[in-house]
Amino acid sequence: MRRGFPWARHAVLVLVSAVMLLPFYWVLKTAITDENIYAYPPRLTPLDPHLFNFVDVWYLIPFPRYLLNSVIVSALAVAGNVVLNALAGYALTRHFPAKRLVLLLLLSCMLIPFQATIIPAYLISARLGVLNTHLGLALPLLSTIVCIFIYKASFEAVPKSLIDAARIDGLSEWRIIATVLLPLSKPAIATNVILAFIWSWNSFMWPLIITRDAEMQTLPLGLARFLSYLEDTTGALYAFVVMVLLPGILVFLMAQKEFIRGLTSGATKG
Amino acid sequence: MAGKVGWYGRKRTRELALIVCFLLPSLAIFLLYRMIPLGWNVVLSFQSWSPMRPARWVGFEHYEEMFLWDDVFWQAFWNTLIWIGAAPVAIVLALGIALLVNSDLKGASVYRTIVFLSYPLMTVAVGIIWRWMYDERGGFFNWVLRSTGVIEQPLGFLASFDMALPAVIVTDIWQVIGFYMIVLLTGLQSIPQHLYEAARIDGAPARARFFRITLPMLRPSLFLCAVIGLLNSFTSFDLVYIMTNGGPGHATELLITYIYKAGFGQTKFDYAAAITVVQFSLLLVLTVLANWAAGGNAGAVERD
Repeated sequence: MRRGFPWARHAVLVLVSAVMLLPFYWVLKTAITDENIYAYPPRLTPLDPHLFNFVDVWYLIPFPRYLLNSVIVSALAVAGNVVLNALAGYALTRHFPAKRLVLLLLLSCMLIPFQATIIPAYLISARLGVLNTHLGLALPLLSTIVCIFIYKASFEAVPKSLIDAARIDGLSEWRIIATVLLPLSKPAIATNVILAFIWSWNSFMWPLIITRDAEMQTLPLGLARFLSYLEDTTGALYAFVVMVLLPGILVFLMAQKEFIRGLTSGATKG
Repeated sequence: MAGKVGWYGRKRTRELALIVCFLLPSLAIFLLYRMIPLGWNVVLSFQSWSPMRPARWVGFEHYEEMFLWDDVFWQAFWNTLIWIGAAPVAIVLALGIALLVNSDLKGASVYRTIVFLSYPLMTVAVGIIWRWMYDERGGFFNWVLRSTGVIEQPLGFLASFDMALPAVIVTDIWQVIGFYMIVLLTGLQSIPQHLYEAARIDGAPARARFFRITLPMLRPSLFLCAVIGLLNSFTSFDLVYIMTNGGPGHATELLITYIYKAGFGQTKFDYAAAITVVQFSLLLVLTVLANWAAGGNAGAVERD
């Protein structure tokens, strides 16, 4: 659809983009400033940019430990989602008794925000003995309903004749999934990987509740801890923020299409 | 013949067993972390219980305390409603951006990426960035307001009883507006173009095209945005915890931060469970209302 005044629309969108990008600039500027970050008026461009604050982060806090915990939890979550959701998604493409009940159960589970169940979820984790462990951190994130439906839709798009042919050739169900369906569902796998990564990487409330030792804390908790300990002192906090945000931004920019498709398909398919 | 039926039956049983095995891990997780907690939560809210004492049935005692005596609960309740009430503002803004981006404009995808970029970011980091933007000394807003002469003395946005909640809500809108935009954009792109062509031939002005075609066709997407806005009142814990932790006083307390404080700060799990029941009911009621306002079954799963 063509409308008039493209320059006017550009002007508005440039303004919107500037508003959206400004906080990024402000934090980046602060992270590479060594002068007193509270000087007034604040400089719009850093006088003598350097990476000192980024080095500082490694000495001020156990950054490698936080990073390792975050990576372990995210890896568990990604692996869990890719495998478990594929199996459940495949099961949902088949006919079995009580299928409608299972579908209804899944759809209604989607309406329950995880935050609404934290107290019993904490108590359950305590009974399972997984408080303060990597497994406990990852367990609620191991499977996602949205992602199950993304797999299901992708598997259903595979021609039935192909699956029948594989079955006649005597392939087991496992082999059918692994050698026929999954290679044809790469976009669905990518969406699963990205959503699971972003969600587990950013997760804050759950780790806050179930970790007790600094040893088990993930990056978001490290950030919160840093904030309460070192507030009002250095630009290192903002360097830490930049370091934590970078992986998320990179993953998002590399796989924007899959990420958006995952969110919107989950959104429109119930 | 009988042997053949038996063989078929065995095969069918094996297949069923396999399907159950495939479904089981995922279902177990949802059962453990969604279904059981939801029920347990309700039961807990009617009990007097703490990790050291055995549970005792107390009926509506917690609800009575909450509704009649707990001022903090009411403040958190109204703050949560204000929080939810800000969602339509964000949705209208997002609709404006989506309409601008959804055209043959050059570079539209670049704008789309920039607007959406804040959504997948770690909320804790976003909270820290915006604390810094609002800072009294090195913050961006105070610098702009002071250098343009609007204010003389620096403002402590997040320490002010009147400005803290709006300030945190602005941050929240900044983060989620991209998601609303993407949902609305998907809705806009699913509107058949021939509707617009027909309207143009009929000589319908642009305004009529928007109100008669675009808005009605966008209803499912708008409903979805409303639901996201409602759920957002639960998921905003991270932002409030980092930016103000409910303060000053309880000026930015939401139900979810109050639940956390009651449960894990004061180990009143039973009382926190009762607040959770109230918030969840609020969510359900508002979702039903939104569905009704969108003209019924707007959120129904499309059959395909």
